[in-house]
Amino acid sequence: MNEHIAGSRVRSVATTLAVALTLTLAAAAGCDSRKEPQLPSVQEKLRESHIYGQPTLRIGVATNEPLMGEVPNGVHVGFDVEIARYIAASLGYEGDQRVEFVSVSTEDRIPALQGGVVDLVVSSFSITEERKKLVSFAGPYFVTTQEVMVPTRHKDDIRTIEDLRDPTYKICTSGGSTTEAELEKHQIKALVVKNVGDCVEGIRQGRYDAVSSDETILAGFLARFPTEFEIVDMPFGTSELLGVGVPIGDPALRDLVAYFLDKSYQQGRSGETSPWQTAYNRTLGPWLRAEKRQPQPLDVPKLVDFDDKAPRR
Amino acid sequence: MNGAAATATGDPDPGQPVPAPRDPVPPASPAPAPEPAPGSASGSAFAVSGPLPAAAVPGRDGMRDDAAERQARASQSFWTAVVGVPAIFSVLRLGVEAGGELQTTLLLVANVGPINLLAGFLTTAAQLLSTALVAVFALGAVLRVSWDRLPGHDRRRPLFVRWAEITPAWFVAASFLMALITWPLLYLPLLLPAFVAAFQLRPERLHERPWPRVLIIGALFAGYFWLLLPTVRDAGRQGDWLAILLFVVPPVLALAIAGPLPGAVIRPLASVTQIAVLAMLVWAALPVISTPVLPLTVTTVGDGTGATEDVRGHVVTTDDVNMVILQERGGVRYVPVDQVRGQVLCPSEEELPRHRLRIHDYHVEDSLLEGLGRRVRPVHRIDAACR
Repeated sequence: MNEHIAGSRVRSVATTLAVALTLTLAAAAGCDSRKEPQLPSVQEKLRESHIYGQPTLRIGVATNEPLMGEVPNGVHVGFDVEIARYIAASLGYEGDQRVEFVSVSTEDRIPALQGGVVDLVVSSFSITEERKKLVSFAGPYFVTTQEVMVPTRHKDDIRTIEDLRDPTYKICTSGGSTTEAELEKHQIKALVVKNVGDCVEGIRQGRYDAVSSDETILAGFLARFPTEFEIVDMPFGTSELLGVGVPIGDPALRDLVAYFLDKSYQQGRSGETSPWQTAYNRTLGPWLRAEKRQPQPLDVPKLVDFDDKAPRR
Repeated sequence: MNGAAATATGDPDPGQPVPAPRDPVPPASPAPAPEPAPGSASGSAFAVSGPLPAAAVPGRDGMRDDAAERQARASQSFWTAVVGVPAIFSVLRLGVEAGGELQTTLLLVANVGPINLLAGFLTTAAQLLSTALVAVFALGAVLRVSWDRLPGHDRRRPLFVRWAEITPAWFVAASFLMALITWPLLYLPLLLPAFVAAFQLRPERLHERPWPRVLIIGALFAGYFWLLLPTVRDAGRQGDWLAILLFVVPPVLALAIAGPLPGAVIRPLASVTQIAVLAMLVWAALPVISTPVLPLTVTTVGDGTGATEDVRGHVVTTDDVNMVILQERGGVRYVPVDQVRGQVLCPSEEELPRHRLRIHDYHVEDSLLEGLGRRVRPVHRIDAACR
């Protein structure tokens, strides 16, 4: 009898506890459903960035790098331009009326960002430690290597880095590029011009004998003059990580660009056609010797967006 | 076996005298049943035959009439609340949506039909409504089973107890079903102790002998945690302690929640919880009142010179001449139809998720209904104009 009473007492204490805990949990759930999201959202980052409220987005692109950024018939095309369009549309700037493409040369990319001439730069911009002190980078969105392109008349003469050191050959590259620094490191004397296009033009006119730059840029010129040039694979040993340049004072915009590049990367990984893949297939894809994939962007912030609840599979 | 079955069936107790004839009660209120046998306090709460102890005692006709009348009144007030609250809410929402402007409210009243209004209300408030009903029924059942054991328990019962008593079982079940499909998955485990409390299902119901009972409970728990383990692990990695508590604790509480409470806590619990639940519901209702009735769109308007402007707001109506847009920041705009260049549907910021957890690819803040919907129409990219 006593045991029965003790048992029912334990039981009723357990029930009281259960009721109290359930009510507490329900109250906690109620508070949770009303509180502001703790994770920063895309909208919040947009409001923090300097582009918020701007009617158009100004993006610095190259206009003389075939396959990457050029303007045939007044329309900007190329891999970089497609990536720029994807980022702009993700940020709320869709259509050519909302995006203003600004032509920037290789050496103007950093000053253009610093001076506020452009909001973003998508122009074969390699991520380096020195540049990171001046501008921010989101990405990489492409990994390329440094190569050398020679006219067909030299295709049997210039095959190695040693050949490039031969003072009889005039090697050309664009100023302010990572290639310039890399050539210096290998004690190769190079003639520095404004753009890779000038080098190519110079070679065609017989002023230079070889041009060194990123594989992507050279592939573009090879696509334009397929019978006149040849790319020589040289072991420079460095890979170039191309990133989107953002003003250093706008970390919110950098985070947003990194977030959207990562979104495309995740899409590609899950087997869908990503914006990156579409851009690649339409531009660089057919002209590169080896198939490339989108590299994983670095330092991607955790942001929430409206489509986060969508099924992933 | 406890006395639950006996009370639930409503069979008259042979030990009790036959009740005297009584006044008719409204159809919604069930016929009174005899008082449950002593010690059968854990009797099923959805016993349609709400026990009216006074009514079963002959010679107390006045009290019985009182009880029947009270029950009829409680029934009326309950159904009035069920039907009236949504209607009043819907109209209040129009006023809030119109930004408090009389003329704008009238414009909305003129253009939003009652069916649309009610459907819109149910879409946005189904979760709140089911929460309210579940809270009332679960608490009502817990209080009722305890109240019956109190000395002098035939005095006026708490409001929730009366509501729980006069509600037909199918309505209670339907409320839980509605909660099951409209509550976010994250809060769904709480439905388990609420369900067990509302129907006073004790573990003894599973099997008479202890060992098979333990095995059944063990198997149920194993299944539950097999389903949720990846999510709980993910929540642990993210440091989302509330999510872990919400997933792990409620099923354990469900084991102990059925049964009477000690006499000392019932009266304070009855008054405090009822007020707290009502206060919480009012608090939770505020965002529902301010949830828009009309969908949010961005309309691109061109002025003919090539320049365009995006108008963010809710389209009230469109006729041959104008599109009437209630702007997000207030004010009504009449846009000539021939100037409309495009229109897109946009999500609102309230829809942003708070957690980054999924249960087998279902987001924890989606209800079952929403989760299934997303599988039918996987979301497309948010339109640039919405940013």
